[in-house]
Amino acid sequence: MSFQLLETILLMTIVTYGSRVLPFLLFKGENIKGFARDFIELVPIALLAALVVPELVTPNGTIVIIKNPFLWAGILTFLFSRFVPNLFLGILFGMTVFWGLDKLLL
Amino acid sequence: MSNKESEFNPSIEKGFLYGLSQSLTIAIGYAPVAITFGILATQFGLTFWEAGLMSFFVYAGASQFIAIEMIHQGATPLIIGVTTLIVNIRHFLMSLSVVPFFPERTLPWSLGLAQGLTDESFVLNTKVLKDVEGEENRRRVMLGINSGAFVTWVSLTILGGLIGKWLPVQFSGFQFALLALFIILTTMSLTRKNYMTYLVAAVLAVVLKLLIPGKIYLIISVILAAGIGAWWRGWKGSHRVGSNSQKSS
Repeated sequence: MSFQLLETILLMTIVTYGSRVLPFLLFKGENIKGFARDFIELVPIALLAALVVPELVTPNGTIVIIKNPFLWAGILTFLFSRFVPNLFLGILFGMTVFWGLDKLLL
Repeated sequence: MSNKESEFNPSIEKGFLYGLSQSLTIAIGYAPVAITFGILATQFGLTFWEAGLMSFFVYAGASQFIAIEMIHQGATPLIIGVTTLIVNIRHFLMSLSVVPFFPERTLPWSLGLAQGLTDESFVLNTKVLKDVEGEENRRRVMLGINSGAFVTWVSLTILGGLIGKWLPVQFSGFQFALLALFIILTTMSLTRKNYMTYLVAAVLAVVLKLLIPGKIYLIISVILAAGIGAWWRGWKGSHRVGSNSQKSS
């Protein structure tokens, strides 16, 4: 195992377990309200956007629209999963469409 | 209507085995995801036991998928660590709301029960623990639920890793698998209350990615977008006047 991967797993473990265990160690059971709660609730959806959209729009570091299998496969996967809300089928659909578009747009 | 005697008797002691049996629903849900994680992790360059180690220690599905995508994109461990923190800080909220079930908890129980807290186990524990009498029993039930889910996650990750390792073809579609997964998660979690945050984060991320080298754009755009979204919610909350008919979903 590379040192980088070990370091990655170690850091991930510390921050994840830390988030889980701190309330057990510190609190009797209060509730976070207001800005902090809204912020924490909105992080996942913001992260999904930040992870996906740049990869779809700028696969090679510049914005590409037409000859871009990532973008079109992404849009089609989005539409597909709106109608078929199944994780496994959606991934299969996305991979197949991407593979097809990748050959087609090459 | 049947008579009352045939109904479930709540005085039956619930313990570890009861929790373990309850965890079956999570196990069914985890199985395809864990196998998929194992396959993708090996397709993205990890060995099956490295994937298993990550599942064992980190034990947080979404952030593990994100991590292998980021490793693939060449992000540094520090950036991945910070990203994991902002993804998993939500466990802090869940943990806070589980803690009142265990007012007399000891240190080993605290350390142990916290380990198994995931989105899914949180939802199930919250539902199940309400109907369990006595803190001792609640601890054992939660331990049972957590153990079943954890063992499923780790063992099926390794199975998926072995499958991925022996998959003969290098199918180009695999490089899209994680993006597809995230897109599906997006459609499942987008609501009227959060789509603006999604759009702000998307625009910020694209612009910042073009401007700043490295992966730091991920963290900046997420913090800015979630911050703007939370501020907006607070502002709307304090400026809501009169006729509030709560029609939106």
